[in-house]
Amino acid sequence: MRSLNYVQRVSLDFAGTLFPHAICLGDADNDSLNELVVGDTSGKLHVYKNDDSKPWITRTCVGMLTCVAVGDVCNKGRNFVVAVGAEGWFHLFDLTAATASKSDSSSQHEFTSSEDQKPLFTQHIPANTKVILISDIDGDGRCELVVGYTDRVVRAFRWEEPSDGSDVGTGQLVLLKKWLLEGQVDSLSVNPGPEGLPELMVSQPGCGYAILLCSWTQHDSSGSGEEAPATPGSEGPSRDVILHLTTGRIHNKNVSTHLIGSISKGSKEESSKCGLFALCTLDGTLKLMDSSEQLLWSVQVDHQLFALQKLDVTGDGREEVVACAWDGQTYIIDHNRTVVRFQFDENVNAFCAGQYTCKEGKNSPCLVYVSFSHKIYVYWKVELEHMESTNLLRVLEEKPEFKSRLRELRVDTEDPAAVRSLVADVLYKDSQT
Amino acid sequence: MILVHNCISVRKKERREQVSRVTCSHIVREKKVSALIWYLTDIRSCRMHRESYPFVEDSFSRFPSQSNIYGLCQAGEQELLAATLKGKVVCFRYQELQQKIRPVAKEVQFTYIPVDAEIVSIDAFNKSPPKRGLVVGITFVKDSGDKATPFLNIYCDYEPGSEFNLESIAQSCLNLELQFTPFQLYHTEVQCDDGGRETVFLLSGHDQRIHLYKENASLHQFEEQPVERLFPELQQLPSNVLWLDVLSIAGGRRLSAFGCQNGCVGLALVDQTGAGEGGQTQTHDSCSASSHDFSCTIPPLVSRRGETIGYNLLVTSTIEMAVVYRDVQERGLSHPVCLLESDQWDAVLCALVIDLDFDGQKEVLLGTYGQELLCYKFQPSESGRDGQFQLQWRRSFKSPLLSIIYLDLTGDGLRELAVLTLKGLHILQHTLTSTADLVLERLAQRVSALTVGSELESAKAQDTKEQDTPTKKEEPTAHTPSN
Repeated sequence: MRSLNYVQRVSLDFAGTLFPHAICLGDADNDSLNELVVGDTSGKLHVYKNDDSKPWITRTCVGMLTCVAVGDVCNKGRNFVVAVGAEGWFHLFDLTAATASKSDSSSQHEFTSSEDQKPLFTQHIPANTKVILISDIDGDGRCELVVGYTDRVVRAFRWEEPSDGSDVGTGQLVLLKKWLLEGQVDSLSVNPGPEGLPELMVSQPGCGYAILLCSWTQHDSSGSGEEAPATPGSEGPSRDVILHLTTGRIHNKNVSTHLIGSISKGSKEESSKCGLFALCTLDGTLKLMDSSEQLLWSVQVDHQLFALQKLDVTGDGREEVVACAWDGQTYIIDHNRTVVRFQFDENVNAFCAGQYTCKEGKNSPCLVYVSFSHKIYVYWKVELEHMESTNLLRVLEEKPEFKSRLRELRVDTEDPAAVRSLVADVLYKDSQT
Repeated sequence: MILVHNCISVRKKERREQVSRVTCSHIVREKKVSALIWYLTDIRSCRMHRESYPFVEDSFSRFPSQSNIYGLCQAGEQELLAATLKGKVVCFRYQELQQKIRPVAKEVQFTYIPVDAEIVSIDAFNKSPPKRGLVVGITFVKDSGDKATPFLNIYCDYEPGSEFNLESIAQSCLNLELQFTPFQLYHTEVQCDDGGRETVFLLSGHDQRIHLYKENASLHQFEEQPVERLFPELQQLPSNVLWLDVLSIAGGRRLSAFGCQNGCVGLALVDQTGAGEGGQTQTHDSCSASSHDFSCTIPPLVSRRGETIGYNLLVTSTIEMAVVYRDVQERGLSHPVCLLESDQWDAVLCALVIDLDFDGQKEVLLGTYGQELLCYKFQPSESGRDGQFQLQWRRSFKSPLLSIIYLDLTGDGLRELAVLTLKGLHILQHTLTSTADLVLERLAQRVSALTVGSELESAKAQDTKEQDTPTKKEEPTAHTPSN
């Protein structure tokens, strides 16, 4: 197994503690460059920008923040920052304005007005939140907010506002549906189904997953206030949750499982509509499957995997699966099951991977580790030329002109020793003469 | 640093050794010496722009225990041996399997290394032709509690067919108990009495001496032989030698340099051919200035590279800037050029002089305890003759750098940089896409040169002039260009 060592990193100050889902990367201020958003257990929301070790912006929320997300939750064509606390307080922040005011006022008055610090909107939703997702789950082109709870419930909300009100503050979250699951929900994701329509997937213990059906698309498309699909009784959940248990050796049926969907396959294979998703368990099973339930690969490792992300590290448009273990061991696996390992040297509190603008003013793939030593480490140069070890001859052989040049120089293309010594001469001797 | 003097002290040996020719000898005193390097002077105009770090890490192998600055050596064409403190030796290579290459770091069970041994140094060489076979030397200290005993194990297999098989070499051991604490284990080729060439081990010790181990052909085993006969310049040393480097140069001569624990650097030019039966020259003077009190923390290093134009000596020290002595053959140690800022990242522990950017001019690589790899390039000044070394780029590592080697591990003609750090072995590969473009560009140049060349050839058909760039594979003289 190939393993390597990333070294280019920046460390960010972060004094608090956090829940594993209270960290995300996204374009919080709509400048097309991504920021790092972190929420801590005391209710502070920190937004980091570039390689600055101090937060660019901090905001105070009510309660313990359990999950944060960046997305167009209001369907306004721009991103908002969402922070949800364990007690059920939903906070919506608009940081687009913050950019302007920040640059104007520079540093002369740090706390301009408490008005600016306040969330744009707050609402109380059911408590015991654990994980959130902002995505289009029913295929209508508009984003919904999905919240997973510690009591095995998943709720979907939609941002609704009166048609005349243009101000965001006038809207509110409306419950679309509630699903009740058998096991703990550790991750929420959306993955294109066999027909190409998005499917809401949640992870289930024991390397399982469940697809949650959006029944409002069948009954009442408007969803104007019909918020009682759960009240009639237990038949609702049983009908709208399709549980899948993956095959294979599962040592522990209750082992915590994570899931990530919509793994990009690159431009070449777009013909197939099936989306790719990956699963990982705390006892070290990793699987890549597509939405027709076909298993692409399965990897067993002896590390406790607690976070699963996707990231294109090779820059070929195909996203690799990135799994991180509590002890810092990180696996990057491509669609062909080629593994690259990286050991982060500390225990990991929380992990995320994605595009972040750390250096050079542009987004680059990054790995983000939250340590237990009041630091967040962002590895900002994690790109690889190839997932597999390769050599120069293999790269050259892909270029047709190489073969023709060899023929012109009367070098036997089938003789590796001759080609090798020619390459060595060309590189190390030609420039000396 | 103070240049002590340019002293030539020819000492006649009462034994049968004859003095042939003394060319030059220098001793220089530095604060603390920590690396020496030979390399070729090749100053030509070079681009002034700062280049960026040209490598991509291909693999990292974590070691169970730490290594040291003597802990890495090349074994054979495409393999590396790395020794770790706790008696383990790891063999690193790229394995080709199902059309894929992958890095493999495997522990090799060298026999007769006790469990409580701590490895000090490792070295390996291929025997000089016509002999065949790989020889591995490992020095270690066995600490059984009351008394530490140092050993040198030499591994080499005489069984035909398995001379290069590491597994079987590791099983045939010659165990030599040492009377001194070993430091660097080094090998070099020497001219024998019968005119043949032979590779020998040189081992420096804390007894202020360098010991020579040479194969006894009749007994088929290595034995210690007096160092004076073959290396007259390596006797009467001023202090314990921590790093040694020997370079054979044109005319059967040899440049030897060593760095000592007390800060002395010794440099000698020796005529190997000598007059008559192995006559050699003693070319060095003992250090005259008062010795510097010096606790051995970071030992010096030497490495080398060189051809014909002139030789430079790179000396790095633990607390001062690294220095390049320019053109030592002509000017001795009188022309130092400092590598600015090289003392900014703690002690320099290892150094290498290689051509990293394929422009024919060599760069200086320094690895520091401060976890940085530094690359310097010589920039000739516009006016004067002496230029400066400029820091080209630097790259951070996760732990202190101990040793660096540049070799072709992947078998493609392109060499990789192997960096041994306290935690393991990093293999850095040149960025392949840009290197591939460069190869194609140069091949195109060759093709066009060839076309022009063979047109000329056909014009003067009978001309049998020697090819100026002889490459075996391109023998276009008799052929007409393909069309």
